[in-house]
Amino acid sequence: MKLLVVEDDKTVGQYVKRGLEEQQYIADWVENGSEALKLASSAHYDLMILDLRLPGMTGLEVLRTARDRGLTLPILVLTAQDGVEFKVDALRAGADDYVTKPFAFEELLARIEALSRRPRALSSRALQLADLELDLDAREVRRNGTVIELTPKEYLVLEYLMRHPGRVMSRTLITEYAWDYHFDPGTNIVDVVINRLRKKVDADFAQKLVHTVRGVGYVVKG
Amino acid sequence: MQSIRRRLTISYTIALTATIVVFGVALYWERRQSSEREAEQQLEVRLAEESHFAIRWLQAQARRGPVVVGLPNLGQRDSTYELVSDARGLFEGMRDYLFVADDFGRLVYVSPPARDLTPQALVEVRRIILRQPVVDQRGQLELLPGEARFRFLLQPVGSVSGELGSILVAAQPSTELNGPAQLLVSMILVAPLILLASTLLGYWLAGRSLRPVDTMVEELEAIQDGRSLHRRLAVPTGEDELSRLAQKLNAMLSRVEQSFNALRRFTADASHELKTPLMVLRAGVERSLTDPQTPNDLVGSLDETLRQINQMSELVTNLLTLARADEGRAGLVLAEADLRNLVHEALETAELLGTEQGVDILSDLPTEPVVVPIDAPRIRQLLLNLVTNAVKYTGSGGQVSIGLRSEAALATLTVADTGIGIAPGDLEHVFERFWRADPARSRTGDRPGTGLGLAICKWVAEAHGGTIEVQSRPGRGTIFTVTLPQVVPETPLVTSTE
Repeated sequence: MKLLVVEDDKTVGQYVKRGLEEQQYIADWVENGSEALKLASSAHYDLMILDLRLPGMTGLEVLRTARDRGLTLPILVLTAQDGVEFKVDALRAGADDYVTKPFAFEELLARIEALSRRPRALSSRALQLADLELDLDAREVRRNGTVIELTPKEYLVLEYLMRHPGRVMSRTLITEYAWDYHFDPGTNIVDVVINRLRKKVDADFAQKLVHTVRGVGYVVKG
Repeated sequence: MQSIRRRLTISYTIALTATIVVFGVALYWERRQSSEREAEQQLEVRLAEESHFAIRWLQAQARRGPVVVGLPNLGQRDSTYELVSDARGLFEGMRDYLFVADDFGRLVYVSPPARDLTPQALVEVRRIILRQPVVDQRGQLELLPGEARFRFLLQPVGSVSGELGSILVAAQPSTELNGPAQLLVSMILVAPLILLASTLLGYWLAGRSLRPVDTMVEELEAIQDGRSLHRRLAVPTGEDELSRLAQKLNAMLSRVEQSFNALRRFTADASHELKTPLMVLRAGVERSLTDPQTPNDLVGSLDETLRQINQMSELVTNLLTLARADEGRAGLVLAEADLRNLVHEALETAELLGTEQGVDILSDLPTEPVVVPIDAPRIRQLLLNLVTNAVKYTGSGGQVSIGLRSEAALATLTVADTGIGIAPGDLEHVFERFWRADPARSRTGDRPGTGLGLAICKWVAEAHGGTIEVQSRPGRGTIFTVTLPQVVPETPLVTSTE
């Protein structure tokens, strides 16, 4: 899947490009609107990630021009402006969705996934680790074939860890995913969720899947 | 406003009453004085005429023969003579007091009204008559004790025979002066009418001259927040005090608007400019955090850095939201939703927080859906804010209850805790931006928070056309009550630049 990133800020652009490539997307990155239009018209892209604030031609102008030229690819808008009217303007001008800066990369991936209406490059609609299965469509978790009832937050925490098997995820990253990066209760609420998850997922089994890495975070591994 | 009008009218009326009273008294007094003088003059003329007439008559009689006969004993009147001329018949009809004396000062005739006088009075009359030489004399004497003094005129008769010496006429000035009395009556009748008319006129005039002030007050009342700060007062035509007041107020409004705009723009610009660097910071930290090659001992500090970045992003976002709200631009995207679902979501978080802190979470939700037009992310933010606060300030063993009710097209959310409470003096400040309660509420070690949480809650509730209220008793707990109208407000809440 091939994506076009239009972002004038070099750090953000590089970050998005590299992050996407790590997820096995093919990403081209340009820094201004006219170049973006040139590329989008000449080559095939599955999706465009467009910053609204660009030097010269603004993001909104790029959007309108692209739609006027009959380009139908999904366009995801990045905006630092969280005023509703900017979003409304962007959506009216032909954007398919928006992400407000600063965003967590997972959020961007989720939007891309939703817009492309395709599973993420390397992820199927189900995640599996040893005998633990997580069905992303049904939001259902089974271990050894038995369904485990999870609350919404427990499910989200497990899903996040399962998406990165073997990788230690920090508490803040987990909180961001299960709630929102705006939410910071000031306590380690994640610990409570992990404790409950352990009881539900690991208690009855000899093989423990959810592990604590002291002072760092949590990881699922076989 | 009304009181100035009333005060002005009362002042007018008092001033006018005082003027009328002073003027009336002066007029009455002057009028009375002149009436008295006039009456005096008239009296003198009358006495002179009577005296003159009597003398002429006696002189004429005397030329024809004696007018006095020696008659012994006119009783106590000490007379041995009596007036025998025809003049006597004439004198009997006289209204005033008339005394005729002979050469030796003996009274030969006393007119009928004078016959009842006391001996002392007659002695007094004689004393005057006996003054030598007998020439024209005017003066006053007391004839009736306790009454007004009489004016008299004493004149020599100058008869040829020498029988008659002098004549004295006396009369009392009239006590009834009609002129001043009538004036007084007219004044008493007319003054209230004048006062009433002028009071009404004064009230009307005061109202008329204060009406522009009324208008100004109304116009100023309409200027409430940043959205209406661009309005100006209508300046009354002319160069009077009111038009100058309006001009000065407008100038002041302009200055207020300028500084308000400058502050708002600064907040918006600063928050906006902070977002990109924050994005870059977050990108770097997030990358390092998710990189499997990052050593574990670094992950801990990177995680804390990310948390701080998140807090800062939250602060910047809230600042920008409030700055936009001040401009009236931060609109909402409303969609009908069942509030119970959002409360359920928040309940799970509350329950997780409660487990950690040893706080029981109770809930009371209706069985029927509570459908409200809301901006779900905003309401979610409001709920999480209230719930997080409630758990944070409730000690182990306490309770936090979340309730939802729907009555008369009004959804009411309550978040009640049994925590440390808020001091009464602090209650009115809790929704202010960056306001912090006493140090107990921001104990060291606790997450300090951005200080904008409740300000955002207030904005969210009000932007939905609802309200947020707080009740608290220190040591007993706090209740936050949010009401949201279940019908879409008439004015569209979604703003757009189109």
